[in-house]
Amino acid sequence: MFGGVGSKLKAWILGGIGTFAALAVGGALGAFDTLEKPVVVLGPGQPIETGPWKVKPLRAYTVDKGIYGLPLKAGEKAIVFEAEMTNRTALSSKNYFTTFQPGGTEDKPFVVLVRDATMSPALQPGLPERMAYVWAVPTGAVPPERFVVAVNGKIHKQRDNLYGVPGWYNEHLIGTVAMTVGVGPDTPDAKP
Amino acid sequence: MMRRVANLAVFLIAILLCYGMQTTKPHYADLTGPIPAYGAISNTVHTRTFDIGVDKVVFARTLKFDQFGKQKLLTTGGVWAIVTANLAATKDSAMVAAATWRGPDGLSYRASERASLATGGLPMALDPGVPAKTRMVFEILPSQADEAMLLVSGKLFAPLDSEARIALGPVALQADGMPEGTVETYELGKTF
Repeated sequence: MFGGVGSKLKAWILGGIGTFAALAVGGALGAFDTLEKPVVVLGPGQPIETGPWKVKPLRAYTVDKGIYGLPLKAGEKAIVFEAEMTNRTALSSKNYFTTFQPGGTEDKPFVVLVRDATMSPALQPGLPERMAYVWAVPTGAVPPERFVVAVNGKIHKQRDNLYGVPGWYNEHLIGTVAMTVGVGPDTPDAKP
Repeated sequence: MMRRVANLAVFLIAILLCYGMQTTKPHYADLTGPIPAYGAISNTVHTRTFDIGVDKVVFARTLKFDQFGKQKLLTTGGVWAIVTANLAATKDSAMVAAATWRGPDGLSYRASERASLATGGLPMALDPGVPAKTRMVFEILPSQADEAMLLVSGKLFAPLDSEARIALGPVALQADGMPEGTVETYELGKTF
């Protein structure tokens, strides 16, 4: 193909083609990665698999009094979101703080076991438990009428790159659930 | 021609050899894992820092204990397994901090935090010559009661340290799916 040219030039041309091919592939992969994927809308009351958890969002409501052993000052409000959670892994885990992320707040929730108001206990493999996520509403702010929460999942890696141990990594968005916000703890559960 | 074939054969053998070495190499997590000290329910297991002998295992539907002067009833979606064991430090003061119930399917249940304030729970400090007793409480699936293994170690993550692994033997299931001899309520009293 390059019979007439010197071996040095041949090497330069081949190297150039290789570089451009690598750049093109990298660019195309990056472009596909940044494409906006449509957000999956999940229904309340339906089981969702997130990887380490099977979750079923049940209800959202506001409270103006303390709930599940959490104190609340007079005039303060909080949004309570309840979901049934089942640990799908083989080890007791409390890896659930970032599973639900509501829009408009970066706050970490208080997570309570509804059964007996234990603060953030580890959940046992295969035993479904109803958990309440509680976010305080800033004083003066009006709680939203619709509660939109992002459901995050993780993937299992047999060995992570840093320590070489198995675990759940790479948190990613699975979809969002929107539900009407009820008033008080008598709000009924969402039906699928 | 012969030379080419021989070269190719050597190349393929080298690939196979490298692949075999890569797949059979023990990984970092295995190399630095705990060192098991095996035993059965009837005998004493010696680890580097402590000796442990399981006294008995009781299954219960609910637990009752006093927390901050108030009586607390702990329910569960599975079954409670209460393991009492005798402990002794070998020659220095030692800590015993972590206990795990590993079922026949490999599901691992850490000692329940919901009952961690009851008397006799881990972590426990041991001194040589002073016998001690612990009562570990697990919340498990009834199907994980049979042929379970109890893992006890000095720290929650104990790389390169010994870990007691005690086979708890066969447990038959009743007609209602609960382990044989499950009591209705077990009281986590001050003495045991």
